[in-house]
Formats: sequence, C-alpha cells, structure tokens
Amino acid sequence: MRAPAPFSIEQVVVGESPRMRAIFDLVKVVSRSESSVIVTGESGTGKEVIAQMLHHLSARRHQPFVTVSCALFSETLIETELFGHERGAFTGAIRDKPGRFELAAGGTLFLDDIDDVPLSMQVKLLRVLQNRQVERVGGTRTLPVNVRVITGTKRDLKKMVAEGKFREDLFYRLNVLPIVLPPLRERREDVPVLARHFVRRFARDRGIDTPEISPAVMDAFTRYSWPGNVRELENACERMVQTCSCGTVRVGCVAASVLFGAASNPRTGLPVPAAAPQPISLDDRLKQVESNLIGWALKVAEGNKSRAAALLNIKRSTLGDRIARCGLAEPADTAVEV
Amino acid sequence: MLSRARVESVLDRIRPMMQADGGDIELVEVNGNSARVRLVGMCSACPSAHMTLFMGVEMALRDEIQEFEELQVV
Repeated sequence: MRAPAPFSIEQVVVGESPRMRAIFDLVKVVSRSESSVIVTGESGTGKEVIAQMLHHLSARRHQPFVTVSCALFSETLIETELFGHERGAFTGAIRDKPGRFELAAGGTLFLDDIDDVPLSMQVKLLRVLQNRQVERVGGTRTLPVNVRVITGTKRDLKKMVAEGKFREDLFYRLNVLPIVLPPLRERREDVPVLARHFVRRFARDRGIDTPEISPAVMDAFTRYSWPGNVRELENACERMVQTCSCGTVRVGCVAASVLFGAASNPRTGLPVPAAAPQPISLDDRLKQVESNLIGWALKVAEGNKSRAAALLNIKRSTLGDRIARCGLAEPADTAVEV
Repeated sequence: MLSRARVESVLDRIRPMMQADGGDIELVEVNGNSARVRLVGMCSACPSAHMTLFMGVEMALRDEIQEFEELQVV
C-alpha cells in the first residue's frame, strides 16, 4: 500500500460536475457538525479524501485524524485495534497498547470498510458509541471517548440491514449525515481535470516538466468506464508520467486495456476537442460553462440569488446581469446537467 | 491457421485512437496462430509504448481469439 501523502485541503480537486460541487458544499456544511457521517462510495471514489476534508474543515482540525480500515483485520484483531489492550490480556500482549479510539482523542476517527465489520463486533462498537466510553481488552479502566466518527462503506448499508448483515441500531447511530460519492463513470466530465491534476503532481514528484496530454488520450480517458474509479485514474497517470519519454502523453503511453475498454463505449459527446483541429467558438463554450455554473449555484441555493451569487463569488447584481445575458429563466426552468 | 481478417478486426477497435494520435499498428503477417505487428508513426520510437501497448494487445487477441498464441513486435 502507498504511504499516505500529507493531506492539505488545497490539494483536493473539485471537478466540474454539479454533483461533486454539491457534495463539496455539503462537506463544508457538515464539517461544522459533530454528528456521525457515513460516506458511501465504490472503491477508489475518494471516501478517505472526504473524511479528511471533514476533519480539516472542522473545529477538531488541530487534533488527530485517525484512519482504520476495518477490512484489514480479523475479528479478534479489530477489537484490540479499535479499543486497545492491556499488558497480558492475551498471549503476545507484552505491553499496553492504546486503541484507535484513544489515539483519535479530541479528533476524528475514520472507520473505513465498516461493511466488513462482523456482527459480533458491531454490538461492541455500538456500545462504545452509545456510552461514549471504551475499555481496553483485558482492562478494567473505563476511558472517555471524545471522537467524531466518520465511517466509509462500499456497500449500501441499508440493504445490508435488510439482509440482516448489519445491525439496524448501529446503522441509525452512524447514519446521521450520509454522503454518497458517485462513481467516476457517472461524472466523466471530471476526468480531464483530474487527469491533468495527477499528471502535474506525478511530474513534479519525478522532477520533470509536466507532459501534455494528447486529445486522443483524453478522449479515451473520458470514454473508459474506470471500474477502479479515481484511484485507477491516478495509477494510470502515475504510470504514464513514469514511462513518458517524449514530453507528451500519447495513446502509446496508455495501457491497451484502457483503449479497448474505451473503444467499447460510445463517444459521450463531452467537450473534448477532436484530434483534427476544428474551429471551436470560445465565446459559445464559455457561455455554456457560465450558464452551467449559474444553474448549479441557483440549484444549490434553492433559487436564492444572493446565496447563489455568494457561491460563485460574484455580486448579486452581477449575477442578475449574467442570468439575463445567458438567457437563463427562473431557477425552476434552468437546465442543469446532473 | 488464423485469418488476417480476424486479427485485423481486433486491432481495428483501437486503431482510430492510435491514428488520432498520428500513429498506427500495422499487421505484418499472420503465421499459424501467431502474428507479427509493427508500430508506425508517433510512438513507434518510444520504448515504453512497446511494453504498455503490446502486452495489452496480445492479451486482447488471446481473449477474443481462443487459439491465438503469440504476438511479436517487429
């Protein structure tokens, strides 16, 4: 596994898709709260990034952010991992070990892959969350728990509850504020922004000039369905930057599996210019971007123009002018691509 | 013996993308159940293109044509 890079909020790339922008707005609001958050999303969609954002935007930002992937541990190990153990609690417990709940004291605990926690452990977790106190395995002291709990899941917990695989009481305890991350294939318009970002970052790490990405590669990338989501795109970009020898990332740098996958998807009609240079009206394109963003802001602000203007960092009067110029009608009629 | 047409039909799927980048993959010959190809144009001089592209193309050929054996790069 890759060592986690130090997190900074500026690193987070906000895509162009209205869905992701709405999610980032939600994150800003939710970060001020102390309630539990469940982040649902396929593998590689960025659940941990969202958890880190929530932490770094919260009042707990100067306290620890602790991550545990519950999928990594067996049933008995997860208990000592989360709650810690006392010396002599079991064979091999040669010293006291604080659990992740203790390590995260005052801060945020991100329990990833909560869907992999066995039922027997779910009871114990519920008890800790409900009583807000924890006991180390083999210990007698009760330690207070002061953490904000964020959980990550790749499966739909509600469905697991219905199937009897996840405790309903724990689900309700955790599911105060749900955030659902869309798979990358449902927000293809973000692929170019993300690809350029990753290529820039890996080029900087390697100490080379950032290579260009050819339009043909971008076209293949936006058509490919990315089953591994943003993480797969990130790895593809890392590989391209590591092997690129000519200063431009071309089709030859892309794994053939991506090309074959892209070939089986029809063109999405995304705003990626064709390889053969064709005239593009910059004004039309900008107008389209402008009206999309205004439509998004109005939707997020529920039609409140002052709030929409604030979201776009423009004056209320400017927003009015621009709405008129783009020919956008009242918010209810605005077409927003979601 | 494998027909050229079957190999070409697999290559044709990624050809438009390669051609859009000023390159192409040329089928030199089919020999038994193996084929020889050549990268032309853009990327043909790039050592990493041979690795990334050909390994995947060979895999795709084996996927689609059960009896396919080996892809050689000329």
